[in-house]
Amino acid sequence: MSLGQDAFEVSVNILKMVLIFLMMVQAVPVLVWVERRGSAFIQNRLGPNRVGPLGLTQLLADAVKFLFKEEFVPDKTNPWVFYLAPIMALIPGALAFGSIPLSAPIRIEEFQWLGSSWGPYNFAFQSFEIGIGIVFVLGISSLGAYSLLMAGWSSNSKYSLLGALRASAQMISYELALGLSLVGMLLIYNTFNFSEMILAQQGPLSFAFGGKTVVVPYLPNWGIFFQPLGAVIFFAAMFAETNRLPFDLPEAEAELVAGYHTEYGGLKMLMFYIGEYGHMMVACALMVTFYFGGYNLPFVEPRVVQELFVGWGFSSNGSSLSTAFLLHVVFLIKVLFLLWIFIWVRWSLPRFRYDQLMDLGWKTMLPWALGNTVLTAVAVLLLRSSWT
Amino acid sequence: MENGILFYILATVIVLCSFMVVVALSPIYSALFLAVTMIALSGIFYLLGAHFIAGVQLIVYAGAVIVLFVMVLMLFDLKREVAAFSRGTFSGILKLVCAGALLGLVIGGAERSTEMMTSVRPEALSDANSMSEMKVLAGLLFSKYLLAFEVLGILLLLIAVGVVAVSRVRGGTHAGS
Repeated sequence: MSLGQDAFEVSVNILKMVLIFLMMVQAVPVLVWVERRGSAFIQNRLGPNRVGPLGLTQLLADAVKFLFKEEFVPDKTNPWVFYLAPIMALIPGALAFGSIPLSAPIRIEEFQWLGSSWGPYNFAFQSFEIGIGIVFVLGISSLGAYSLLMAGWSSNSKYSLLGALRASAQMISYELALGLSLVGMLLIYNTFNFSEMILAQQGPLSFAFGGKTVVVPYLPNWGIFFQPLGAVIFFAAMFAETNRLPFDLPEAEAELVAGYHTEYGGLKMLMFYIGEYGHMMVACALMVTFYFGGYNLPFVEPRVVQELFVGWGFSSNGSSLSTAFLLHVVFLIKVLFLLWIFIWVRWSLPRFRYDQLMDLGWKTMLPWALGNTVLTAVAVLLLRSSWT
Repeated sequence: MENGILFYILATVIVLCSFMVVVALSPIYSALFLAVTMIALSGIFYLLGAHFIAGVQLIVYAGAVIVLFVMVLMLFDLKREVAAFSRGTFSGILKLVCAGALLGLVIGGAERSTEMMTSVRPEALSDANSMSEMKVLAGLLFSKYLLAFEVLGILLLLIAVGVVAVSRVRGGTHAGS
């Protein structure tokens, strides 16, 4: 967890943190646009299409509107907690997103600059590396409940409080199923580390079977083929964790106005939005990392891609950089596809009733996740031991 | 070097926030300060090389237990306490005695555990072998301390069942159903 040995490495690492955070924040307006256009497409209308090409600069107009709105705090709120809540909405998402590897690490060879020699360096394509990746992300994202609770309580409004209570109860309930659905992956990959997990998903599907290695050449080596049930439970629990439809009871418009952020407006409201979309991005990035091979191209190892670039006459540094950017685009395509599914589901399914939500969480998903864990443990034990 | 600075920052946060937990007038503030204390404590675990325990501290205490505290506190119609401490000669003396006893306990504990500090392995501080540490931890939990581990699990189950039973008998939310 050190920033680096010399000035170059430290400055690149700090720049990387800032850029990845900005990337997450900048993706939000685009996602809002996709959400509005997508919902219009699903509901057979046009959506925002007047401002700029395809309505894309609608986002700029929105941002200006949010910035220039009156800085309004209702009477009889608790101002400290009221201001703290939107900030807390941003932090967990940003920290969790920073720890996910977004592409293959970049290798920079030794070079001469300003009269001294620098390097060689290895830069991971993420804000910071943390050995216990999954545990860290689960812990950080469980702090998201505070933001909702603080917003709901400090607003001093019945709607906000009810929304916050629903939200936190829902998040705590679904965290169990979420955590348990991942245990199967941990058993298979034997690691908590995202990078090692992605390394284990390269090439075609292969697994140990009684002391021999079986290779299925027409499937990529992705987690979803080992853990289909875990993937489904994880994806459903992610919808509940991000408070999206069909689990958006915390902000059910018909009952609670807007739930925990009823009393917020302007930039503070926008920060809740960024937090929600940030959570969605973290959810999709995790889903890709666990079950869809991370930044790996299907069937092709990053090493092969790099050799291809070297073959086209790139230098060692250049090929490493181009490989990282190509694989980053691959990662983004997978994440965007899942984000589109999030939006698609939101505008296709109706909302659950509250007791249905709790039944689904505690009586359906939790037992299935437990069963998946036990089944995986038995299967791993049987397949990995050599039958002699 | 940077670990030392981080340690002192986190330690200051812990001391200040746990002090605020005691003196804050609103119970919600107390609970929120307690949450900050737990998060900082998890940071200290991380600095000491116990990565898995740091993560579990975050998930269990900061992410679940105190969230439940805050949730329950928000359900009550809370009035601000008039004062954090009651006044009076007798209770004042009692408080001083208790604080002194606690301080003595903490200092004694710290002094007696300094030998353990010297035996910390420096290689445990690197990120790379956090997984092997976990294997050691899991091995100990499921072999040497298996009985204690299982007994604790049963104790928690008993508490959960007991709470449900008591709330039914005393006319809780499920009374009459």
